[in-house]
Amino acid sequence: MRLHFWGVRGSIPAPGPDTNRYGGNTSCVSLRTAAGELIIIDMGTGLMHLGNSLLPTDFGKGKGRATILLSHAHWDHIQGLGFFAPVFIPGNQFTLFGHAKSSSMLEGILEGQMNPNFSPLYTLKNLGATVEVRALVPGERYEASGCHVTGRPNPHGSTTALAFRIEEGGRSFVYASDVGYADGGPSAEVLALYRGADVLLHDCTYTPDDQLTRKNRGFSSYEDAAAAAVAAKVKHLVMFHYDQDYGDDDVDRLKAACRAALDRHGGKSIALTAAAEGEELDI
Amino acid sequence: MKVRFWGVRGSIPVPGRQTNRYGGNTSCVEVRPRGAWPIIIDAGTGIRRLGKSLMETPFGDGGGTAHILISHTHWDHIQGLPFFAPFYTQGNTMHVFARQREDQHLQAVFASQTEDPYFPVPLASLRAEINFHELVEGTQFSIGDARVSCTRLNHPWVAMAYRIDADGASIVYASDTAPFSDVLLENEYIKTPPKVGAPLPQSVAEKLASMREALVAMCDGADLLIYDTQFTPEEYKQQPHWGHSTPEDAIAVAREARVKTLCLYHHAPKRTDDQQDAILVATREQLARAGDSFDVVAAFEGMELTLGDED
Repeated sequence: MRLHFWGVRGSIPAPGPDTNRYGGNTSCVSLRTAAGELIIIDMGTGLMHLGNSLLPTDFGKGKGRATILLSHAHWDHIQGLGFFAPVFIPGNQFTLFGHAKSSSMLEGILEGQMNPNFSPLYTLKNLGATVEVRALVPGERYEASGCHVTGRPNPHGSTTALAFRIEEGGRSFVYASDVGYADGGPSAEVLALYRGADVLLHDCTYTPDDQLTRKNRGFSSYEDAAAAAVAAKVKHLVMFHYDQDYGDDDVDRLKAACRAALDRHGGKSIALTAAAEGEELDI
Repeated sequence: MKVRFWGVRGSIPVPGRQTNRYGGNTSCVEVRPRGAWPIIIDAGTGIRRLGKSLMETPFGDGGGTAHILISHTHWDHIQGLPFFAPFYTQGNTMHVFARQREDQHLQAVFASQTEDPYFPVPLASLRAEINFHELVEGTQFSIGDARVSCTRLNHPWVAMAYRIDADGASIVYASDTAPFSDVLLENEYIKTPPKVGAPLPQSVAEKLASMREALVAMCDGADLLIYDTQFTPEEYKQQPHWGHSTPEDAIAVAREARVKTLCLYHHAPKRTDDQQDAILVATREQLARAGDSFDVVAAFEGMELTLGDED
């Protein structure tokens, strides 16, 4: 599997010269499976750039297929949908999994984004491609794009965000963005979801100091990310969802501090990557 | 008065090296009459940094007042509001102006921007006092010593243009709008692009003509006209129903209204800095060829202009 980072920023896009290296687009990653299938996770502004890159492929001819996993519906995770070129091409087919009481409620949430007050698209029905919307049942194992996919909700401020585990042929990737654990860290179920993953992509929004003054927002510090990676005995931790006020040099410092935290907590053998827009990682 | 650009991009923010010079934040302009509180036009992602700068002033202690004129509520013009720091400080007073809608009160539209599950902080929990003011085209009102007028534009779900007169100077903000020639954009969703240059039914042509006439009248003699020039002529032909103009359309309005400076604005997300430079150069050449006497600039993040009486 090959992971590609299209947007690594949290909350709101952060353009400007001081975010050139890590990138200012909001959350979106893609996973190209060994069998050549495509899984997209989250639909922040990075999705627009993924979409443009897909136009020379089957998606440009209306013959594309992909799975979309949506962690939650905060704007920084859905803003890219209306700018995702393949979704306007009839024939393309997407299956979107997200968290809601029912599939129709999840569709209603996405429909609200297209409300004509906010969007010139007016309604999801004006997207040319087929988008099948499915409410994911936590803990249930789904077959999607030739992979096993499981999701579990994490606490995220006043709401929850799904973490996903994706497995293909003995390789595993976990996506856990937008999480603010209760004291004590991940729940037993979530820890089981993370356990032994080849790569754990984890919310790493803040330094512990900044997190203290913004506890109610439901995001992780590098300490939380490192502790989760060590507890779940993952092989590789990827830092993600940086605060919009952090410049590239701040993220460099965040990474150095995260490395030190891993080492301190007994995770010396865990590799560390700070996600940067445009970069790829083989799993 | 001073005019400062905090976001100049249309549709969606575009971070990256290709936009470092013009900037990747969406629409937001600060107008500051001499010795007065800021009048902010549009609340795209650019308003986040404006808010941070205001927190260094009396807004930081809850002693600030701001007026925010919203052209329309498409996401690229309001996305920054929940990230506008002065909203979160008790004591600040905010006045938000936008066009009245038939079906829903303005406050309900803004409340739905941040309702569950889209954003964690609901409008009702913001600590500043926030007042909503609904406008209809033609309304005139005062903000301190500044005079404000407005007229409607040709854009899906309808946008409003604003003129501000203060300190013996005037600026007009006209974004977003299609030219007034090929399609009437109101509340209906238009699926198929109309053919550019095809004749229109008389009633539609008349309505567009009167809309344009009101805009030209409002722009009359303005020192600065900030105009939606998202499209190249080729792009406009593909998407005349998206509600955006070309530099040619802006020039025509500026010429007829005898404005002093035209400002290209609401740059397309895909436009790189070098491409935007080329558009500015071509527009300048066009003005020179036509013998126009007004100036043209292309808005960039951080651009600040001083108009009218000096201190």
